[in-house]
Amino acid sequence: MKKIDAILKEIYTALDDQSLQSGLQRTLKNLLPASHKVLKRWPYLIKLADEVRKIREETLKNLDYYIDEIIKNVESINGKGYFAKDRHEAIKIIDEIVGNDRKLIVKAKSMVTEELKLREHLIEKGHIVYETDLGELLIQISKDKPMHAIAPAIHMSREKAVKLLKNIGVHVSEEMSYEDIVKGVRMFLREKFINADVGISGANVVAADSGATILISNEGNIRLSTILPPKHIAIASIEKIMPTINDAYKQALVQAGYAGLYPPTYLSLTAGPSSTADIEYHRVYGVHGPKEFHLILYDGGRSDAIKNQYLWEQLLCIKCGRCQAECPIWDLVANIWGGSVYGGPMGIVWTAITEDIDTAAQLALICLGCGRCKEVCPMKINMPDIIRYLKTYISKTII
Amino acid sequence: MPLPVKDILKMIADNTKKYGMPFPMPKEVIYKWADGLDLPKGGDTVLFTGLLYQMIPYINASIKYLESVEESKYLSVLMKAGGIVSVISKLLLRVSEEELKEQYEVLRGIAILLKKTGTQFGYLYENDMYSGALLYDMGLDNDFREYAVMVYNKLKSLGVRTLITIDPHTTYMMREVYKNIIPGYDLMVKNYFEILTNSSIEPTKILKESATLHDPCYYARYLKIIDEPRRLLEKGGINIMEPERNKELTFCCGGPIESITPGLSKRVAQLRVSELSIANKNIITMCPICYANLSRVKPKDVAVKDVSHYLYTIYR
Ligand code: SF4
Repeated sequence: MKKIDAILKEIYTALDDQSLQSGLQRTLKNLLPASHKVLKRWPYLIKLADEVRKIREETLKNLDYYIDEIIKNVESINGKGYFAKDRHEAIKIIDEIVGNDRKLIVKAKSMVTEELKLREHLIEKGHIVYETDLGELLIQISKDKPMHAIAPAIHMSREKAVKLLKNIGVHVSEEMSYEDIVKGVRMFLREKFINADVGISGANVVAADSGATILISNEGNIRLSTILPPKHIAIASIEKIMPTINDAYKQALVQAGYAGLYPPTYLSLTAGPSSTADIEYHRVYGVHGPKEFHLILYDGGRSDAIKNQYLWEQLLCIKCGRCQAECPIWDLVANIWGGSVYGGPMGIVWTAITEDIDTAAQLALICLGCGRCKEVCPMKINMPDIIRYLKTYISKTII
Repeated sequence: MPLPVKDILKMIADNTKKYGMPFPMPKEVIYKWADGLDLPKGGDTVLFTGLLYQMIPYINASIKYLESVEESKYLSVLMKAGGIVSVISKLLLRVSEEELKEQYEVLRGIAILLKKTGTQFGYLYENDMYSGALLYDMGLDNDFREYAVMVYNKLKSLGVRTLITIDPHTTYMMREVYKNIIPGYDLMVKNYFEILTNSSIEPTKILKESATLHDPCYYARYLKIIDEPRRLLEKGGINIMEPERNKELTFCCGGPIESITPGLSKRVAQLRVSELSIANKNIITMCPICYANLSRVKPKDVAVKDVSHYLYTIYR
């Protein structure tokens, strides 16, 4: 468990960290007006958000049913569906799919794989793993913690980024323009995409009626990671379930809009492996896309949280990150105020759900209770109230 | 060096239990502001200050001390030498008359305006009480529950039925929180902005001034008291320059965490003051905690004043 004095020490170090502070200020300057502009220009997203909350509330009440549906339906589209209660089970399933001999694995950025510490595990098993989101690749090389769900490397200067990229053999230099640095990364990763044995992604939403997953991306790396390798493993935490493809699209649009990136450059639906029957109607799997599609539904504390009078509401979260950018404390220290994966207002509660409630309770003490997070949240999650509940938890144990 | 949060929380709980306030102050400070106002004692409807305005100089002294401890490298030595808590309990001697007078003026102004509206109300003097807001905010629920029941029973035994509140924290506690934890809670809670807005009170002086208004989180988001102060100020000629983040989306002053992490609290206050002062260099606050926290970090060319100063000048 992380204690309050350790948390405060980290926070004060972050307040003095010039690189983090200037990165954060730059990010906020762009991020905040972006989401405001999106909602002003596409106001239907606000209505859609209300609708999505209602659907999600109902879905959470019948989660077991939907999990069964998904597993059944994934099989019907010739994929494979699994349910993993905890990290141990998830890792076991993934190890079996990946196999023991050394593999080249490309990864799309995903918070649930952060929860599983999946990249670290696969590397330890001897596989070669690359994060393909640029920010997340920088996090992988620096061994830092992602500072934001969408912009994980906001705390890093361009100089540091170049230095890190050079370390893994990307042809870049300090004198290069931003465009040329990105080009260097593209050349480097292109070869990995083509040669990869396995592509691993999360899922922004999963539709129960079909077992289809939807992924949002802007860089295009997610399409490449999920299309080029012969095996695609998608891991979705169980609160990401929506009843139908139609509902799932609505949720993805709301998530992208509230994150300030709208329309998202890519919205990719994947329902099963790639196949053709164009020659004599003989079905062949794995044409241009993967031959195998695996979908793992990961619980990781969610079904326990559903039973908690306060924590359950956080399961409505669509991880748009809006509450973080609008939080006075997050604006100063980003995910440093958080558990090992999630930070900021939603992150305190997610830490309680996925990590441990004691750490979350210690983190909660720093919350101002100002209520901005609830005000801006598309799901109107009462985070101030949940966080206050976490505070009561700590005061019961320390006093 | 981080503060010993656990000890501070314990101090807040103990002080509230023992003295009826999280930071101790002399008893007479509670009601001294009402000297000479001839407010009837007690009654059906009372002005319930919640003690926050009176407490400000003591909170300021405590936070200043906590901040110095937080910044010091020798915290552990200090702790061994008797602890922060005992130092804070002695701070009440160090508060200046001038600082107290400033807060008394706020309270007197509000009481005089309320009288002018024709509202019949009394005051509880030595029985005026703190709401326990900080216990609730810090999640000290057992202590809070016990304290709230004591406050409620006392108010009932004094025959009080309606409270007039003057700050967002006390208003929220007495209107929304108490009713959730005390079965049969039946006190009516009116905020003074609501009384002034619904009365026929008219400006006696029109000010030709511009200022920016800092909405406290509890008024704006928790209680939806947003338009009332604006209407009252605008009627008196104040040109309100809105900051970028206002009303339901107002930005916190940092106050709620000032006692456990004053340095971080200060950084939040700095963000807010710089945003407000872009709108205008005269900042109007509506909550004593916001007033204290924003004043602490304001640059010399920026003024922070409680809204009641303006209202008093306009409507007296
Ligand atoms: S809690 Fe709300 S605002 Fe925060 S990430 Fe989740 S959905 Fe977005």
